[in-house]
Amino acid sequence: MSMSQTPMIEMRNVEKHFGDHHVLKGISLTVKKGEVVVIIGPSGSGKSTLCRTINRLEPIDSGEICFDGKPLPEEGRALAALRSQIGMVFQSFNLFAHKTILENVMLAPMDVLHKPQKEAREAAMELLKRVGVDSQAGKVPAQLSGGQQQRVAIARSLAMNPKAMLFDEPTSALDPEMIGEVLDVMTELAKEGMTMVIVTHEMNFARRVADRVVFMDEGRILEDGTPEEFFAHPKTERARDFLNSIKDH
Amino acid sequence: MRIEELLSQFGSQYVRALLTTWELTALSAAIAFLLGTAVTVMRISPIRPLRRFGDFYVQIFRNIPGASLLILLVYALPYLDVVLSYRTCVLMAASLIPSAFCSEYLMAGINTIDPGQIEAARSLGMTFGQIIRRVVIPQALRSSILPMTNLLVATMLTTALASQVPLNPRELTGIVAHINTHAVGGVTAFLISAFLYCMTAVAIGQAGSWIDRKVRILR
Repeated sequence: MSMSQTPMIEMRNVEKHFGDHHVLKGISLTVKKGEVVVIIGPSGSGKSTLCRTINRLEPIDSGEICFDGKPLPEEGRALAALRSQIGMVFQSFNLFAHKTILENVMLAPMDVLHKPQKEAREAAMELLKRVGVDSQAGKVPAQLSGGQQQRVAIARSLAMNPKAMLFDEPTSALDPEMIGEVLDVMTELAKEGMTMVIVTHEMNFARRVADRVVFMDEGRILEDGTPEEFFAHPKTERARDFLNSIKDH
Repeated sequence: MRIEELLSQFGSQYVRALLTTWELTALSAAIAFLLGTAVTVMRISPIRPLRRFGDFYVQIFRNIPGASLLILLVYALPYLDVVLSYRTCVLMAASLIPSAFCSEYLMAGINTIDPGQIEAARSLGMTFGQIIRRVVIPQALRSSILPMTNLLVATMLTTALASQVPLNPRELTGIVAHINTHAVGGVTAFLISAFLYCMTAVAIGQAGSWIDRKVRILR
């Protein structure tokens, strides 16, 4: 298939500043279709910002980002259409507080993809079942645990049939006993061949699920390799320090 | 004149006045709400001149006394060859001012929404209009029911401006002036109107609290 040779995500020489702070420095990163890339690094290294530039929630200063072979458009309808093909899961779940769990999952398919209500409802229930929260369908987000909310957020993204999924520290706001249930859903997705970019601090998850691990520090990508390479033989001193610092606990 | 006499002589006129006040209130509030919502959408839009215009609008109508606005509409607009009926002038005065407050309450409601929800909606491919309609306005409304209830009462009281122009049929304040020129109603004539205003306000307040309990967002 010639299609599979087009990378899903391609970033070239991406630069980004927040005021005086240079958050992304010459970032180039390619994610192939079906690949699972985990981005790790100390806090403030720019990994979340990188993740958010891929669907242009953060505009960039210079460089180029292509999704499925096409450069990201300017803010507007074309960008909205493109965003609908990229699922995104946030640290703080960000479910719509005034809507039930079921409505949260149905909303975008109906509004953006113009699916009929019945079809959207059936698909939403199916997805809620898949992430194990179908019994909560009639509740509102505040009535669910963090782990359940995050699984709903994943279902909400999946309802759009995305070509790729971005995860911005999906387990960082969760109580420890709920991290596993969210990571399990993500592991399933990875097995099914979803293209995924995951910013996380879960090293065991990275080791098990990632095709590639990208290590970032101070706005730069310092390492980019298989988890075996990275965790066993980190090439840079910064990566070694980072891995040592998290090994202690 | 005692209250029984007043009521037997002018009772039906009071009823008519009460209905007129309700009608003016409902119309003004509806217009105020539509204008207030439109101005609020301008104030949060990505287009800077629109935001500026929205802020300017609110500053103007939040800070102008109702009587001054009514005088401008009735006496100044004709110089610009715009002659509006008295009723239209009253409706405009009683809706333009509340519309500015309506926008302020909606803005306060919008500020209670976690920006993360907006980002989530954007990441799902929803357009600005969809996000406003489906995520922002519904939540802003639910968290501004109580201030909106107060605004509805304030709008009702603003319709008393109609007593300053010849309006037919008269509303609750106008009827008092009318009675006191035809009979010696004294303060009792005022008290009857005040009581009717009061009862209406209590009913509005009760309805507001009930709706607020029904639609409040769990956080």
